[in-house]
Amino acid sequence: MTESTPRITAQFLESFTHQTVRILGKVVQIRGEQATVDAGGEINVILNRDSHLVPNHAVEIIGKVQNDLTVRVLTSTDFGTGIDFAASEAVVDATHRYKEIFYGGDD
Amino acid sequence: MEYSGYGGGYSTTSYGAQGGSGGGGFMNQGSQSSPSANRSHGNDTLRPVTIKQLLDAQQPHPDAEFKIDGAEITQLTFVGQIRSLSSQATHTNYTFDDGTGTIEVKKWIDADAINDMDTDDSKPKLVANTYARVWGRLKAFNNRRNVTAHVVRPITDYNEISYHLLEATVVHLHFTRGPPGTGVATTTNNGGYTEQQNNYGGQQGLLTSMSPAARKVYECIRTSEQSHTGLHCQYIASRIGMELSEVGRAGFELLEMGAIYTTVDDETWAPLDI
Repeated sequence: MTESTPRITAQFLESFTHQTVRILGKVVQIRGEQATVDAGGEINVILNRDSHLVPNHAVEIIGKVQNDLTVRVLTSTDFGTGIDFAASEAVVDATHRYKEIFYGGDD
Repeated sequence: MEYSGYGGGYSTTSYGAQGGSGGGGFMNQGSQSSPSANRSHGNDTLRPVTIKQLLDAQQPHPDAEFKIDGAEITQLTFVGQIRSLSSQATHTNYTFDDGTGTIEVKKWIDADAINDMDTDDSKPKLVANTYARVWGRLKAFNNRRNVTAHVVRPITDYNEISYHLLEATVVHLHFTRGPPGTGVATTTNNGGYTEQQNNYGGQQGLLTSMSPAARKVYECIRTSEQSHTGLHCQYIASRIGMELSEVGRAGFELLEMGAIYTTVDDETWAPLDI
């Protein structure tokens, strides 16, 4: 059984504490080792040494949701500026509405 | 929620076209146009899937074709991130992760086709942590599942990831719930799926994919008292207080969707109720 990383937005953070998730959002602000990413709401992320976030670019973060709902980044991928966030939010919705094909155990 | 319109709209954007532009001709038989849920043997189809679906796919007995949602899968396509890769003399092994699971992909090197894609420096390369689209077949080997790929193409527009996952969802729902609601089946192939579960398909699906003006005109045509020849656009314009030109545009949109049809002349419309 391989591990899945469900795609989520800000409102799902609480249901995914201590889990590894995927977040596609827009970089709002970078403050040293932390950053704010907008993905259906603002999310505070804790960067690692390899993550190079660019303000106003879309970024896909794979990270672990902490107790305080910040996300500790494991890997981040710059997605540039041409991202349709309505589509990515629709993906998040589909992920949780029809999760049988996206994550979790037996249905 | 706002996304509910995407079903109709996305099929006409460039994301769809991109899938076809990168590779061979077989991609043209995209599974959205594949006709039925009850496939016969030997009928090759190309199905968009998530990796979790591949890992969950059932194989009734060894050597049998894999099944997802009760339908045999032959050719498949997915979009994922390359976690690792190793190049051998005859093939390249990839580990792909699309967020739903990971799977091994093997791509044999075709010695005859030193394709121009690899020599072009401006195009993204297939390296670790980049996204790529895979076309191939699911195989089982010593109880391990892997995909033998025909084509592995790097993603140039990241929206293709969203596109693919939504397409895989649509096809999954097509097989588990049947085609979209009967009223819209001829117009928006996947519009109905995007609805809330309780009003899945049907009239609501049609309404949400319209522009506000078109919705107003459609409501007027549907609810006003009329003869079997429907309503003239001038009458509609005066009734709902809209500019005639705007009503004309809305009418054109509705005609294109198949929500209404012209009767005695091009400006007289009746609702298409099925």
